[in-house]
Amino acid sequence: MKGRGVGWLVLALLVALGSALLGGLREGAQFAGSDVRAMAVVNAVQPDYRPWTGLLWQPPPEIASGLFALQAALGAGVLGYYLGFKRGQARRRRERADDGD
Amino acid sequence: MHIAEGFLPPLHAALWTALAAPFVAAGVRRANRLAREKPQAKLLLAASGAFAFLLSALKLPSVTGSSSHATGVGLGALLFGPSVMALLGAIVLGFQALLLAHGGLTTLGANVFAMAVVGPWVAFGVARGARWLGAPLAVGAFAAALSGNLATYLTTAGQLALAFPDPASGVAGSWLKFAAVFAPTQLPLAVIEGLLTVTIVNFLREYSGDELRALELWPESPAVEAR
Repeated sequence: MKGRGVGWLVLALLVALGSALLGGLREGAQFAGSDVRAMAVVNAVQPDYRPWTGLLWQPPPEIASGLFALQAALGAGVLGYYLGFKRGQARRRRERADDGD
Repeated sequence: MHIAEGFLPPLHAALWTALAAPFVAAGVRRANRLAREKPQAKLLLAASGAFAFLLSALKLPSVTGSSSHATGVGLGALLFGPSVMALLGAIVLGFQALLLAHGGLTTLGANVFAMAVVGPWVAFGVARGARWLGAPLAVGAFAAALSGNLATYLTTAGQLALAFPDPASGVAGSWLKFAAVFAPTQLPLAVIEGLLTVTIVNFLREYSGDELRALELWPESPAVEAR
């Protein structure tokens, strides 16, 4: 079970790596966001469309990377807390069962 | 699938917001009921939200030479049913619209509808279908997360196509254009999301039998019962 858990994770990493390498081989690959490219299609389909409202607030680029990191850190932090908590709980339960014998 | 701020005409933006709002409201009610009736599952709910938070923060490079990201909403839909994910997804998208200049407030309704309503419902439906077919849990979880991810992006393509029909080929032609931008980039990322979801589901099967039983998930699954 434990081995299988890591196996899936390794496979996910391999797919990510392979996808990135294949993508990088493409000519002029800049890894622009597909969202940005879709908005460019909007301009191609209807060249006279102009966004009718702008962002309330846009973080300066240096700050934006920090906020992205913050989002990932919050997610990974809470997720990691849960996973560690459950593992510890299971071990405690096993130890208590052993003591009972 | 983040439609940028101002990139839907006002009428479309208002309609998608009106469509998404009741789902988010139902998600709030469902989350409250879960917390009240199954308090032992609260931490798992937080962890499912955290999974979506983490995955949607990571822009991954793809085979097409552009990048995009996973949605992470399939896992929660699998565990808690689709309705609660409307709330969790809306929190993720709200955070990104307000703080990361990713998406926007006028397009928040449309983005919520794609990622937090259609994605989870498709994932949930596929998981149910896989179970009905007798597929192993890992296969069901993988297929659910993968199809939830793809469905989200195809929905975004549909929303853009409705707002910006092609002068020559109409809404359908426009949808194909937008889908052609999203789908090839998204496919490997959807596979990655599926694999990560299976990783978490396997962990839960090993360590979280109590919560899974409380959620009455896969009641007939012997792997859960054995714990």
